Amino acid sequence: MNAPILRLGRAASFALLLFLPLPIVVIGATSFAAAGYLRFPPGELSLRWYVEAATDPRWIEAFVTSLGIAAVVSVLVTAIAFAGAYACHRLRPRWLPAFELAVMSPLFFPHAALGVALVNVLAMAGYLGTATGIVIAHIVCTLPFAWRPIVVALQRIDGEIVEAASLLGADERHIALGIALPLARSGLVTALLFSFIISFDEVTITMFLTGPQVTTLPVQIYAFIQENASPVLAAISTATVVVTLVVVMLLERLIGLEFFVAHDPA
Amino acid sequence: MRGATSAPRSLGWLLLPALLVLALFLGSVALLLFHAFWNKDGFSLIYFRQILDRADYHDVFLRTVSIAAIVAVAAAVLAYPIAWLLWRLPRWRNLLLVIVLVPWLVSLVVRTYGWLVILGPKGFLNETLKWAGVIQSPLPLIFNDLGVVIGLTHVLMPFSVIATLSVLLQIDNRLEEASESLGAGGFETWRRVVLPLSLPGVFTGLGITFLTSMGAIVTPILLGGIRQKMAGTQIYQEVVYNFNMSKASAWAICLLLLSGLGLALLRVVEAALVPKADR
Repeated sequence: MNAPILRLGRAASFALLLFLPLPIVVIGATSFAAAGYLRFPPGELSLRWYVEAATDPRWIEAFVTSLGIAAVVSVLVTAIAFAGAYACHRLRPRWLPAFELAVMSPLFFPHAALGVALVNVLAMAGYLGTATGIVIAHIVCTLPFAWRPIVVALQRIDGEIVEAASLLGADERHIALGIALPLARSGLVTALLFSFIISFDEVTITMFLTGPQVTTLPVQIYAFIQENASPVLAAISTATVVVTLVVVMLLERLIGLEFFVAHDPA
Repeated sequence: MRGATSAPRSLGWLLLPALLVLALFLGSVALLLFHAFWNKDGFSLIYFRQILDRADYHDVFLRTVSIAAIVAVAAAVLAYPIAWLLWRLPRWRNLLLVIVLVPWLVSLVVRTYGWLVILGPKGFLNETLKWAGVIQSPLPLIFNDLGVVIGLTHVLMPFSVIATLSVLLQIDNRLEEASESLGAGGFETWRRVVLPLSLPGVFTGLGITFLTSMGAIVTPILLGGIRQKMAGTQIYQEVVYNFNMSKASAWAICLLLLSGLGLALLRVVEAALVPKADR
């Protein structure tokens, strides 16, 4: 077999793979450079940009806001998706394919169009520029991502367990909360963590919805890049990378990452 | 857990929250249509006419579609070897998957900022090249279409990797073994067996990256500069600076139509290229 070509292909592919984390690595390196910019050869190291970020109330506030919004969004959207997917699973309505297509439909909207659409509706409801408005918008955007893993997990549950429970006298509430919920926990955890990270890092749609009262961390990073690209941004950005990394590691430990590349059995 | 005991219809109430979210989304789309066709003077096509009439607006849409197409193809081509690598190294797949997933999930504003730091006039690349004596004055790598293409391609590549890999993982190992036992080399097997079977994943990736590039705002503004407009940046400007919801909505509808057209075209190409049995 043509082994040298294969080896060359493998090396080139690996180089391309390392291209993916490149900007993140560069930002991480910049955040520790005392000079505030990255150069070759590297200069002195320091934590001054982290200190500066941690002592600026604007960054603390945006960080806390983003974490709070992501937490509320992930819990709500997971609950909504579980309730809906469970009902669909048990009832098997005839219009299920149409309904699932509708649930997935935000994925087919370019973000700029989705942003305008959500501004329209949130402005009418008086939620523009509020945390509630951002939470509502994020729920709309993350529902497709929460829905799919939960549906997959529900389909994996052995029907005979439910039947047995039912024969032994379990009522519907017990079947839903005592049997389906714990057995579908891999889907629930995936939905929870996935929607958390999407909400935490979302910027394109959110930047339509922030206002003087409330802003999220990614939107504030965007605003600061436009004003003055201070090296504090590198420290803040690295902090968001750490949050993302922690969530991905949690997902890997708890569930595994196969979900991302697994084909829908449905 | 299908077909347990007959489920009571009252379970339908559990659908209510999801239906509310859906209603909100559909309502927002309805409002989008309303704003695009109605302003304070009643029914009007003024902003659609404006898009059809103004040459500078044609340029914006043309740039949007071309950049989205270039980015989609570049991301697919660059992502394919990565997906192939992950597919061929099952023992390392989890670790390598983290290298793909973390950049994908990190906020795109952060990744775009990274490219600003690397490609800027005083960025890492230009400074390093100057230090090495390769160039005298910085290369114009950003604040132009090149910067937007580099940034968007990088931002969207993980989508293509994931879409391609998930199809590669479906391929039956025995097909490869059969091909090689019939005398085909590694490359030949890839070209005649693996590549055709993985094309559906490549096309899924093309669709996602094209759609996402069409609606991009942050990367085009930060890496393209204010003068290199794309449809998304124009829409953002109309909403946030001009408060012109009617114009923004009309633009959003044109963007939706063009995206839909692009995806439909992609389906036609896919139907022509991919044998039926694989779809």
